[in-house]
Amino acid sequence: MKLTLRFGAAAAAGVLFLTGCGGEDDSTNETESSGDTEICYVAAAESHAYASPANAAFQEAADELDVDLTLLSQEFDAQTGTDQLRTCIGRNPDGIVLWPVDPQAYVPGLVEAEEAGIPVVLINSPMGEEAEGLYASFTGPDTYEQGQLAGEVMDEELNDGNVVIIAGQAGNGTTIGRTDGFNDMLEELGSDIEVLQTVNADFDQQRALELSRDLISQHGEDIDGVYANDDTMARGFIDAWDESGRGTDNMPAIVGINGQQDAFESIKEGNYTATILQSPEEDGRLALETIVDAANGEDVESRIPISMTVVTEENVAEEEPAL
Amino acid sequence: MSSLKRVFGNPLFLTLVHYRVIVILGATVLIATSFVPSLADFRTFSLSMDRAAVLGIVAVGLTVVLLMGKLDLSVGAILALSGIATIGLQSQLGPTGAALVGIVVGVLAGALNGFLIVILQINSLVATLASMIFIRALCHFLTGSNPLSGADPLLGLAVSGAMGGTLSMRTYVFLLAIVLLFIWLTYTVGGRNAYAVGSNEDSATASGIRSNRYIFGAFLFSGFTAGIAGTLQSLATNTGSPVFGDAIALTAIAAVVIGGTRLEGGRGSSLGTLGGVLVLAAITTTLEYESVPSYYQDIVTGSILLLLILLDRIASDRPRSVLTLKTFFPQRTKDESHHSMSRKEEP
Repeated sequence: MKLTLRFGAAAAAGVLFLTGCGGEDDSTNETESSGDTEICYVAAAESHAYASPANAAFQEAADELDVDLTLLSQEFDAQTGTDQLRTCIGRNPDGIVLWPVDPQAYVPGLVEAEEAGIPVVLINSPMGEEAEGLYASFTGPDTYEQGQLAGEVMDEELNDGNVVIIAGQAGNGTTIGRTDGFNDMLEELGSDIEVLQTVNADFDQQRALELSRDLISQHGEDIDGVYANDDTMARGFIDAWDESGRGTDNMPAIVGINGQQDAFESIKEGNYTATILQSPEEDGRLALETIVDAANGEDVESRIPISMTVVTEENVAEEEPAL
Repeated sequence: MSSLKRVFGNPLFLTLVHYRVIVILGATVLIATSFVPSLADFRTFSLSMDRAAVLGIVAVGLTVVLLMGKLDLSVGAILALSGIATIGLQSQLGPTGAALVGIVVGVLAGALNGFLIVILQINSLVATLASMIFIRALCHFLTGSNPLSGADPLLGLAVSGAMGGTLSMRTYVFLLAIVLLFIWLTYTVGGRNAYAVGSNEDSATASGIRSNRYIFGAFLFSGFTAGIAGTLQSLATNTGSPVFGDAIALTAIAAVVIGGTRLEGGRGSSLGTLGGVLVLAAITTTLEYESVPSYYQDIVTGSILLLLILLDRIASDRPRSVLTLKTFFPQRTKDESHHSMSRKEEP
């Protein structure tokens, strides 16, 4: 009989677990649903150095404006994201905010949203030409310009030499913008810098570390500069360089993007050439405010950029890290 | 031990274990709708079915592979390659031609897997791991790592939009695939042979079944369904992306296993897979409607998977006949078809 009891207890625990999960969600829903405006937000990811604070700022701005928010996360998977976009449309909210991780895949969903009369704001990453006219506004940094700025800094720093590019996800709009902007700028400047290799480290520090080990053992001292699509991946390279025992004195010029705390510290120590500063808080907040305006029927600008600053040794003391 | 036997021997308990997929599905849907009442709306149902369709079509193919006691990890990569063909060839072949090529690409990739596993006798896990890596690299090579976009984004609505206010086209494809697989596995000699091969390849061969053909066929079929899934997915998103389907193989395997198909082979069913896919779809839709972070979804999915595998253990320790409805209605139900594998006869 003991075992019968145990089984019963296990079953009860299972039920509690399931209902417990649900109950918790329900209560958060109740507190959120006090607002009049309903916004559905398809975020790029939940736990990520840049996306997390942007989401948090988005949520905070939503609370302030009494907006009922549903947050979905596609974890950098466009396939999940396209489905989530359609789930959003199914909820019939007053507005949708989409963080595109692919320049095209969401187009059919955007068409559906337009047919349903739901305004869409793109946050952070751009989409391709096909999407033009299907969204109310695109708020966020100009990734192409960031790449250009990074290219400019790299050219000033090195004049000539070999660089490696540690890019984000293949096919991701941000990756494409930041990488193309960099390459195009080097070409435009007639720079003598040669790109040895471009690798995709998916905006992931661990992945960047692994790929950097390979880059270092392959090219070694030939690497004069490193351009990473974000500071997290630049950190991966720095760790791999330290690991190889080459020492910080011979560290190649490092240019990253995002303006992270650790990049700032490295710049102060003189081991990091530059980072392009953009604020995730501003990014998240701006998107929320824009979609609320659009949902209320106001006209919004089709492109609302956030400000960008190149942080180098010269101005690092005056700027605040973004995250 | 006697109390243990009493619990496990209890016909009601055993019946619940036998129909565990239905029980779990019922519980999931019940809990889901009690927290999110709008889930019962037909529109929501239609949308979540549409979301599940691509996963489901892949899972149908994997059901047959797992039934053979094999694995196919390459379905996600095949899905991406088919999608790239479907979108990339649109300008040369037109949308229909390109879609057909997309499906053919899936079949060819399945044939490659079959060749590796049946002819070269490579373990299916290793073989499909290799083909997964190879095909995924091919996807990146063909596209230069950038997603391709099709000519007409509105074409996607024909695939994923609700047809006449009912379900979407790809949902019907998924349901049709489930029904056809059910008929094949349950009512045909070929289906019964498939169970026999999965249960014990050597004894199936000894009793005159061409096991290798069935295994080759399973991978061909899995490639075919992955090809269909990739074609539909790329049409729906108007994009052929080299990163599509990155995580789909494991999720689809989870759905199939939740549906009661055993990795050891020889047991499983089409309707079980339908149940597994629906369980996952219900969980995803509910938790997303509640803005629950996606890792909670994975916790729930993992727990259900574990629970079902434990129940499966209990079920498989028992003689199969105890578990069927026969216990209660001895005359009315006929024995499960896959029960007949021990007395296999050559067709």
